[in-house]
Amino acid sequence: MHSSCAAALLAPWARWAGAAFAEGPGGVSSGAATAPAPGRQAPAPGAAGGDIVLGTSAAFTGPSRGLGNELYRGAMAYFREVNESGGINGRRITLRLYDDGYQPDPCVQNTLKLMLEDDVFLLFGYVGTPTVTRVLPMLKKFQEEQIYMFFPFTGAQPQREPPYGDFAFNLRASYRQETAGLVENFLATGRRRIAVFYQADAYGRSGWAGVRAALENHGETIAGEATYQRGARFTGTMRAQVEILQRAAPDAVICVGAYAACAAFARDAIDLGLRVPIANLSFVGSENLVNLLSEGRDDPEAYTRWLVNSQVVPSYEDESVPAVREYRELMARHDPEIPPEFLDEPYNPLPQSFVSLEGFVNAKLMCEIFRRFDGEPLRAGLEDAVFSIRDFDLGIGEQVSFGPERRQGLQRVYYTVVEDGRFVPLTDWNALPA
Amino acid sequence: MKVHKLFQRMRFGIFALFGLIVLSTSLLCIRTVDTELSAEYAANSQSIAKTIADASVDILLNRNLATLQSLIDQFLEVQGIRYIYITDETGEFLAHTFVPGIPEVILEGDPFRTEPVERSLPGMGDFLEVSSPILAGVAGTVHLGMDLDLVALKIQRAIGQQVYLISILLVLGVLASIWLVNLVARPLAELLSYAVETARRSPEERAHAVPNETLLERDDEVGQLARLILYMSETRPPSGPGALPDQGEARSAA
Repeated sequence: MHSSCAAALLAPWARWAGAAFAEGPGGVSSGAATAPAPGRQAPAPGAAGGDIVLGTSAAFTGPSRGLGNELYRGAMAYFREVNESGGINGRRITLRLYDDGYQPDPCVQNTLKLMLEDDVFLLFGYVGTPTVTRVLPMLKKFQEEQIYMFFPFTGAQPQREPPYGDFAFNLRASYRQETAGLVENFLATGRRRIAVFYQADAYGRSGWAGVRAALENHGETIAGEATYQRGARFTGTMRAQVEILQRAAPDAVICVGAYAACAAFARDAIDLGLRVPIANLSFVGSENLVNLLSEGRDDPEAYTRWLVNSQVVPSYEDESVPAVREYRELMARHDPEIPPEFLDEPYNPLPQSFVSLEGFVNAKLMCEIFRRFDGEPLRAGLEDAVFSIRDFDLGIGEQVSFGPERRQGLQRVYYTVVEDGRFVPLTDWNALPA
Repeated sequence: MKVHKLFQRMRFGIFALFGLIVLSTSLLCIRTVDTELSAEYAANSQSIAKTIADASVDILLNRNLATLQSLIDQFLEVQGIRYIYITDETGEFLAHTFVPGIPEVILEGDPFRTEPVERSLPGMGDFLEVSSPILAGVAGTVHLGMDLDLVALKIQRAIGQQVYLISILLVLGVLASIWLVNLVARPLAELLSYAVETARRSPEERAHAVPNETLLERDDEVGQLARLILYMSETRPPSGPGALPDQGEARSAA
């Protein structure tokens, strides 16, 4: 089926219920045409018919769509290159996509479809803690099918610990590691009163718990906390939250949220005189955050000079890193487009971003895992293939290793600040504005 | 005696009786529904709090707060539940659903309380807070706020429906009573009219008068009275013109 016909036919379902399609070399093709038919007897589910089909449910619409879009673009830049080079042992990598709008219930429904109807080989590139947390019990429920979740875009603990840790493989560092690093660096520079602004859901709680544990290690407690509702937009107000935190007189605020809400908080904090370092975790979507805070302003740095963002991949500006060079080259070459079904709101893709770099690195390691199969990829062999990754060089300056007790590939956290509208490595924590 | 006066009193009696029934039934209904529904909502809230408490044990012991938050977020979708928070054995807040922050009233409250308490939270409304200990309280406590305004609205709606039904029954009952009374009143009025007409006639006129067969052929008390009047008129003349009501007055009684 021609791609445009497929898009037109699938358009009515192109929301949370999900429009699905696969993308291969040379453009978009209908998932309905390329995906294996539902059925439990296929010898290699999701890998039959030549393609290795990966299932994704992520935020492609709504206030957090930048995260799903950029993660997808980064991954597709690598997959497309691999597919154009002949695939892996002659098999193309295709993605079956569903939009969940960063909402748990649609994500659960999408995952059911991916597992039971689409029969994908594995789940890949999910976005968000509240969504992933709700899907994990399904993986346990269908554990006999051996469907694993690979490299979700969340640093939360549930997919890293029992009882669901055995059903997921993580590449990025955890929120616990990110928040611990932020707390330790703030404490080291005399900022002892640390407040938390967080999303009122599992993601926010995960970050809050990380901050709390890190402070506890140093005999400190959270100085103040405020929450916001998931899905908040930049146009909304966060003044109530700022006022709550102002009463706690913090030396620094750690935000555990998505870019729209965190940008609104940073804006209102500065406007109301809460001028302390405002830290954000990697999930925030750094470039979208800065764009919201600086676009159309006389002083573009008025709101961004207080930002400190932790990252789980190196700076995409650092071309001394081999994987970054490769990423920049392939992003420029393929410039993956957002599936038209998900473009009900205008979206300007970012040429480079931390999120798409993470997606790129995820895809690169995923392909390496597929290469570890001797013959036809089988779900039963996935764990062994992953565990064969030992001291593997992804090209980002950190060796990747997996094992039965090690289901997270990378451990390093990077810290960045904004300079000239771009995130650059933070080299001196004492130089943060007071 | 005028027949319509007799039935006016009867109608008034019927209205009064039905009104009393409706009033007493409605009051009883309001009280019952209010008490029962309030108790049911409180019991449901308590059950939900206990369910969360039971489900939280392993999660809490594993210190998996993200999963704990995910759990309470799901229960927040239950209608009427407006907030949930979980405190640990020291009283520290481990998870909650408040936005933009935990209200002062809650922060200053007793985190170990397990008895239901009514709370008024500024900007949020009035709540019935029920609590359930986790692992007999040694692992913490689940607190759940049920929206009292919503509960009141539900109760009002239920009472309204009951009163509406009773009112319809009242109207139907009154209409049926009037119809039944009229069934009796109409032949009585005809009988009265017949009696007056008969009394006014002279003996000659009576001899040539066409008898009212409709009345005379009835097999009930009205028919018997009509036949009795006919019999008496054939044996006794009227005592005087002023002693009988005129025909128009007699008809109006019907």
